[in-house]
Amino acid sequence: MPSLPLFLSQLFNGLALGLLLALISAGLTVIYGTLGVLNLAHGALFMVGAYAGFVAMEHTGSFVLAMVGGMAGALIVGLLMERIIIRYFYQRPAEDQILVTFGIGIIITEAVRLGFGGISQRVAVPEWGQGITKLGFLFYPTYRIEVMVIVAVVLLLLYLILYRTRIGMIVRAGIEDSLMVNMLGINVYRVFLLVFGIGAMTAGFAGIINAPIVAVTPDMGEAILVQSFVVIVIGGVGSFPGAVVGGIIAGEIVSLTSMFNPAYSHVMLFAVMALLLAVRPQGLFGIEGRE
Amino acid sequence: MILRNLATRGAGRPWVAELITLIVLFLCPLVLPLLGVGADMASRILIWGLFGLGFDILFGFTGLLSFGQAAFFGVGGFVSAFLLTQTGMTNVVLALFIGTLVAMVAGALVGFFTLRRSGIYFAMITLAFAEMFHFLELSPLSNWTGGENGLTGVPTPTLGLGSWAVELQSGWQMFGFIAVFFFIGYVIAHRIVLSPFGQVLTALRDNSPRALATGHSVRKYKLAAFVIAAGFGGIAGGLLGVLQSYMPPDALAFHTSGQLVMQSVIGGAGTLFGPLLGAGVWLGLRDSLQDFPTIAPAWKLILGVVFVVLITVFRQGLLGAVKTLFTPRRVATEPDVAELSAEVTRRHAVAGVPDAQLREDEVPDYAFHADTPHRRAKGLDITPKAADKGMPALECRNLTKRYGGLTANEGITLSIPEGQLRGIIGPNGAGKSTFFKMLAGEVAPTEGEIFLHGANITGLGVTAVSQLGMSKSYQINQLFAKLTVAQNLAIPVLARIRGEFRPDMLTSLHGVPGLHGQIEATLEMVNLLERADVPVTELAYGEKRRLEIGLALANAPNVLLLDEPLAGMSPRERADTVQLLKQIRAGRTLVVVEHDMDAMFELAEYISVLQEGRLLAEGTPEEIKGDQRVQDAYLGGMEEV
Amino acid sequence: MNDDQNDPKKTRSGIDRRDFLKAGAGVAGGLLLSSGFGRLALAAEHPALGNYPAGIQGSSVFVGLSVPRTGPYSAQGEDEIKGYQLAIDHLNQGSELARAYAPDGKKGVLGKKIEHGVTDNQTKPNVAVQAISKYISDKKAMMVSGSVSSAVAIASGKLCDREKTIYLAAISGSNDTTGKDCQRYSFRACHFAYTASKALAPVIKNALGPNKKVAYLTPDYTYGHTVYNSMKEFTEKQGWTTVTNQLSPLGTSDFSTYLLNIANSGADVLVNICFGRDAVNSIKQAQQFGLMDRMTMVVPYMAPFLAQEVGPELMQGVYGTTEFWWTLAETNPLAKQFVDDFEKRNGRKPGWSAHIAFLQTMLWANAVEGAGTFYPPSVIKEYEKGKHINTDIGEVWWRGDDHQLVRPVFVIRGKKPKTMRSKDDYYDIVESVAGPDVMPPKGHFGCKLGSYT
Repeated sequence: MPSLPLFLSQLFNGLALGLLLALISAGLTVIYGTLGVLNLAHGALFMVGAYAGFVAMEHTGSFVLAMVGGMAGALIVGLLMERIIIRYFYQRPAEDQILVTFGIGIIITEAVRLGFGGISQRVAVPEWGQGITKLGFLFYPTYRIEVMVIVAVVLLLLYLILYRTRIGMIVRAGIEDSLMVNMLGINVYRVFLLVFGIGAMTAGFAGIINAPIVAVTPDMGEAILVQSFVVIVIGGVGSFPGAVVGGIIAGEIVSLTSMFNPAYSHVMLFAVMALLLAVRPQGLFGIEGRE
Repeated sequence: MILRNLATRGAGRPWVAELITLIVLFLCPLVLPLLGVGADMASRILIWGLFGLGFDILFGFTGLLSFGQAAFFGVGGFVSAFLLTQTGMTNVVLALFIGTLVAMVAGALVGFFTLRRSGIYFAMITLAFAEMFHFLELSPLSNWTGGENGLTGVPTPTLGLGSWAVELQSGWQMFGFIAVFFFIGYVIAHRIVLSPFGQVLTALRDNSPRALATGHSVRKYKLAAFVIAAGFGGIAGGLLGVLQSYMPPDALAFHTSGQLVMQSVIGGAGTLFGPLLGAGVWLGLRDSLQDFPTIAPAWKLILGVVFVVLITVFRQGLLGAVKTLFTPRRVATEPDVAELSAEVTRRHAVAGVPDAQLREDEVPDYAFHADTPHRRAKGLDITPKAADKGMPALECRNLTKRYGGLTANEGITLSIPEGQLRGIIGPNGAGKSTFFKMLAGEVAPTEGEIFLHGANITGLGVTAVSQLGMSKSYQINQLFAKLTVAQNLAIPVLARIRGEFRPDMLTSLHGVPGLHGQIEATLEMVNLLERADVPVTELAYGEKRRLEIGLALANAPNVLLLDEPLAGMSPRERADTVQLLKQIRAGRTLVVVEHDMDAMFELAEYISVLQEGRLLAEGTPEEIKGDQRVQDAYLGGMEEV
Repeated sequence: MNDDQNDPKKTRSGIDRRDFLKAGAGVAGGLLLSSGFGRLALAAEHPALGNYPAGIQGSSVFVGLSVPRTGPYSAQGEDEIKGYQLAIDHLNQGSELARAYAPDGKKGVLGKKIEHGVTDNQTKPNVAVQAISKYISDKKAMMVSGSVSSAVAIASGKLCDREKTIYLAAISGSNDTTGKDCQRYSFRACHFAYTASKALAPVIKNALGPNKKVAYLTPDYTYGHTVYNSMKEFTEKQGWTTVTNQLSPLGTSDFSTYLLNIANSGADVLVNICFGRDAVNSIKQAQQFGLMDRMTMVVPYMAPFLAQEVGPELMQGVYGTTEFWWTLAETNPLAKQFVDDFEKRNGRKPGWSAHIAFLQTMLWANAVEGAGTFYPPSVIKEYEKGKHINTDIGEVWWRGDDHQLVRPVFVIRGKKPKTMRSKDDYYDIVESVAGPDVMPPKGHFGCKLGSYT
């Protein structure tokens, strides 16, 4: 049996993991909820954010600019995706959308590999993030704690946008019933573009703030993608609170399972998802009957 | 007459396609080397093609996009490989067979869990299960499966016995071995697709809720399709191990499932040969691109672009694009009036009715002659009633439906006697649709009960209700979009004749007793006989409405619910549909919801009025016309302003 | 189905034929060796076996290369390609460098120009097997090479053994490749778990002292387990204690759980067995968790480009082993030729992925020229003779019992960034441990080579 301090530190660790997942999944779920498109290129956008941030970092040396660069890079790629291809797919069946975003994800990944090579790139931890912080019994990298705070702030911002602004209300209405929103005279396609852009930006932002922690490679988005699917299914597709809660739960599952048997930590996520779908098919916050 | 085109694939002689396939397979070892395709590549393409046959049945024909087929490919492959390398079994064919069986069992288990959901949830959960199987292979079961190294030393098959035994060598001999399996697999898949079972699968793809309402157990069909796909995956996996003497762990990886999906889409889903063609394109491009040193590292990028372009432009895939090139596109037109009047005259002649009896104001192309209905109505089956005479045909007591705080229906009690044509009317928001949904079994009531001929059908669900003899025609057309008119009608008839599920996968559609007769009778009844082979997408709206009613009729209901049958029709069409409804009354009980008051008062013997979820009034048309409360309900509120 | 009388693979259809082949091979081989003139192997001198003699009918001979060009090890794969190309170019030109390795040759190998093809095996054994099958059957490859993972190397080796084509593993760190999964037709020239660990253990004991507590971070697959077993064996022999072994699934990106456990274990030394991207992630995160301040890190089997990917700040003071390091050019003239030529062609220093590719190719040329024929069993026997060959890493020879090259293992240590003389000067070579000192006893890992035909 693991000791209490170990347990608590893993709990904390799971929260850190979970918040990042929550951020990525929030973008994915809002895109799906509003546009009805399951964006299998979301992981690639996460990766693009990391690379764009890396490039910005190389040129400016400023991590803040790198964060902006990461968001901008992912936003541009995301908007291009939407304008060039995805918008022709809104009327098409769900399978087509899954397939085309799957293909686009491959294209983006391979293009980055051709451009930057397969060798992993380094993004250094910014100066204000160096070192270790002591939280009681636990030594934890300062940067990770800062990431948690930053992500929480961004999630809060997203929440405020979605629930406290007019445009957010339109987006949420669009999640409920985009046809109705269109009929009310609101240009729903502009809303789609906005939502896709926000989704891409959050993925890109997650990519760059995570970059100092991991190796930046073209394949880094793949594992994240699968995990974020699990999160949105657990939380309920289309639900922003679902993505947040689901993300945190997923992070904890991975973290706590690895205390006992690390090999099972990722497969446990899948097992939990399968179980949840059997018992509560719409996920935690999803709406019954919505696919 | 028309029913040789009934099966989706069109060919009335399935063995033609099969013979051609056999000949092509024989020619491969002669022709392919000239094209620069080696035996190993050809064998691999066949294996993917075999894998894809099952996947196409699942995705192309049933419409279920699974991202987890690698699970069964791997299960079949590893079970076969394990038997052949670790247990001393030497009979390769037996090991393959066992591997396939185990894969099918795995398919049944996984399908049981995953098929509860559809759409992207289904795709995600199949992905999750495949990843779990992958993990099982890599970690806990690695002592049996070799972990990330896989299982090596899978023997090549030996055919024959004793001194006649010949060990197959790699190269074209192995290709031949695999080709045998592919051919058998193709024949089976082809027959499945042409069978009544296969027809139901295509209905599931086009309109699953309607198939359910028609009386098919959608869940069981989906599970059967899933198990079939798993079986094909299993045999393909086993053959891969034999081909390369090595069973690799990445047979279970996500990219295997992904590659299968991409290949099937590239080749064309719903064609059975699509995945084979797609595999040829994918593997061929991948290998040939690598021969060009400058673009070789970009092979995956190029393939990704090809894939995206194909999906965007040629959704039907390469084979589908070829098909559309060769199929003449027909424009949706009203049938030629002159043609039709000639047909009507002919039929009147057949019926022994002189032309002079046509009424002056009858428009020939939509005419139903007054004297012939009895003969036509006799052609159509009616499900015998389950319970005693004397019971009302349909009865509900205290029927209530609440959605959270909203009450859609409250305490509705009414009783419809045998043979009556009951009308249900009410202002907008009265809860008519919800009431109808409850009667049909689509929605379970919060309180109350429903009785069909005295039997309690509350909460049984649409499928059971349909099998008991009550069916519904929908306000918004719920047709099977990719099928022809006759194929549409086949679906309810198949449910009626075969029950909610029958795994008659290898029988011919033409072997179903009474199928042709029922379809023809229904076509005649709704006057779509000459449009039988037209795809639904090319029908005019009025024709679609008639088909909609026909679908409900083809179920041989003894109680027929019609939800706004006249919706969206022109006055001429309304008149004809009213006539139609009058004709189908014979031997049946009809319940009609309508907004068209004139039609309602002409048709209905008795009318129930709903308002704000409750039963407001009941009576004969005259009584209802004169009822002040009903008038108030319709005009309601305006005078109070 | 189709009877191809020229198909060189129509050999195995019964016992009688096999015996005849063996006899034929023996006679032919004997004739060759005794003749002394048998440089140009005439097609009829040996019976058909594998792609012999079909693959050498023309003026060229084909070599099939299977490396990852996509996926997590694409950088190492691309580097291998460059190593192969360099070697093949030199051999084809009959350059001075080529003569250093294969003294008797002229241009090409046995006068035949080397053609090659490259395919992306995506680090997947299945894809590798498929690609190699095609090279063997379609292109009549006489030699196949390339790998960045042991799973691929083992699967490729087994296939090539079945198809009677020589396979040269490139990067393969598991003990099993020349252990229980060894093949008559497969050869490994790089160092591996056992030799790396045996070389490294005394060096770190000298550097860090006795009685150390060791924590392991092990990727949970065969390669990881073998390195762990070997390191544990050798460190415990010298008095160190193993305090924890954290198994991380392959492909983990977040090591916080394992690092937290290691931080709490009281270890002085962290042995990080992760390879490739996992190593990069775990090292970065170990530093972020402050482990590097309290422990010394040891990476027993360093992947090519590790230092470049992680950065010199993190690699300073880290001990590890490598197959080759470019500073060997300063002490070995052959190494200098290799490194300089590589840098001229590619604008950067070679990783050991390029070097192992180069070395394997040169040693193959040496064996073929020595055998005087492409006939596989003769080439194999030439390898197995175990004659000493002078190379850019010193004197090496093949061990006939398991087809493992006996060769030095280089123990390196990360330099302090201030002391780096150039941007690639990441490591000091602390010790060059001689091959015989680190090889496992014969049969230690259960190698049983198969038959020649």
